[in-house]
Amino acid sequence: MKWSYIGAIVVGAYFLFPLYVLFLLAFNSPTITILARYPALLPISLTLNNLVVSLQGSAFIDPLVKSLETATLVGVITLVLAVPAGYGLSRLPRAIAYPFLVLLLVTNMMPAIVIGIPIAVEFIKLHLFESVEGLALAQTLITLPLATFILQGTFSSIPSDLENQARVDGAGLLRRLFSILLPIAAPGIAAAFLISWMFSWDEFTYAILLIPYHSTLPVTIYSDVTRGNLLAGVAFSLVFTIPVIVLTFALQKYLRGEYLAGGIKA
Amino acid sequence: MRLTPFLLVLPAVGYIVAFSFFPTIDAVYLSFQDPHGGLSLHNYQELAYFNVGGAVLDTVLVTVGALLIQLALGFLVASVLSREFLGKRALSTITIIPMGVATVVAAITFSFIFQTSGGYANTVLHSLFGINVNWYQTSLSSLLVVMLADSWKNTPIVSLILLAGMSSIPRELYYSAAIDGAGSVRRFIHITLPNLRSFIGVALILRGVQEFNIFALPLILIGDHPPLLTTLVYNLYTTTFPEVGLALAAATVLLGFILVFMGVVIKLTGGRSS
Repeated sequence: MKWSYIGAIVVGAYFLFPLYVLFLLAFNSPTITILARYPALLPISLTLNNLVVSLQGSAFIDPLVKSLETATLVGVITLVLAVPAGYGLSRLPRAIAYPFLVLLLVTNMMPAIVIGIPIAVEFIKLHLFESVEGLALAQTLITLPLATFILQGTFSSIPSDLENQARVDGAGLLRRLFSILLPIAAPGIAAAFLISWMFSWDEFTYAILLIPYHSTLPVTIYSDVTRGNLLAGVAFSLVFTIPVIVLTFALQKYLRGEYLAGGIKA
Repeated sequence: MRLTPFLLVLPAVGYIVAFSFFPTIDAVYLSFQDPHGGLSLHNYQELAYFNVGGAVLDTVLVTVGALLIQLALGFLVASVLSREFLGKRALSTITIIPMGVATVVAAITFSFIFQTSGGYANTVLHSLFGINVNWYQTSLSSLLVVMLADSWKNTPIVSLILLAGMSSIPRELYYSAAIDGAGSVRRFIHITLPNLRSFIGVALILRGVQEFNIFALPLILIGDHPPLLTTLVYNLYTTTFPEVGLALAAATVLLGFILVFMGVVIKLTGGRSS
């Protein structure tokens, strides 16, 4: 019993410390953080000045909007493809659905940096380079397999009797989809959308390869920090992190190992 | 056998194949092209000048190190969370937070923690032991910083998988082992580990492949010194653009490693353990 608490404290401190450091950097006066030889571990000179100064720069709004656009577009493209795929897989026999799932998982493992360069070369020809649409098309590669997994699970949990009954009553596929399946699957669909949104929001590799010049927020944070614009990097990081932490809390019950390990239980 | 489910699955699978397999094949093919359009090993020979051997070694070191740290921490987190105690819900929420923190943000936060002058890690070490560490003095310590930052961000997913595995082990196994006199270490080795084999395999494959691919973290924390395969690919890409052959040759080396790694892990964990 005692060991649980010691373990809990160690684990909790390990996961919280970096966030605490981010908080200190964002809200302490720079003289005791980035300018100090030994930065203080306590919030002793709290100020909002860092944030105010950094966020007033217009360099912040454009990347933020680009990140929002990309993430939302990725969420939409992902759902358009993953809802039918998830439903289809849930109604196929396991022996056929399983290879498809493995195929999706394997492609998810292809390195973004390997795929990104030929895509960038191709997009330059197609005028999709430096465009949000092009970036969203690439980032969907990361989110689509995951969303398909989640939705396959969601649709599998809907008893097929319910659907068969509707079919006997004469409802076609579209009718069954919109009046029975989608409403019941709504929580899973919402989770798939939000997870896709989150993963795209965070994505860096495709962003730096496909829109290197006027990019999304992660790339902007990176270039601010490499140019020595440290406080702006910290302020943007904080703005960037808060919405995702809120989303993580909201999604907590969907972030389960069972989804990831789903394939091996069969 | 009805056809509709098939047709519904095809767009998603087609999308992935078109955007993922074809560019990959394209990348491998282009990496064997010399500047005159013929097929040769030209790019690969050139790679030798760019310390590709060092990058391979560093990548393997980071992958193995980060996986070991993540498995160890993942087991710690999962075994704490598999017990009942006051504050369990709060702790399980805390352990998930890093998943939501962007990789770039994690990288920047850790760069402030491990700053040589003015870093929070040095503040702690200085006040406890009066010492000051230059984290980037050797390749190995630089790589350690990358491993630690990566493990912070990615341990949650490992612990989620291990926790799912642990909760699938029947309690009775532990009770009967305890009655037979097995201590907690032996119970861990003889019950937990074998039963978790396939879960560990999934965690290793998922994380291992990502580990070979870590890019934003090393780019921000250590730039090119020492280079990993991904940062080498990116560096070659940006410096030789619009010639991409050299970068793609390095990318192909990376791809080769990932395929070998997947093969080894699948072999070791026995694939599907049913």
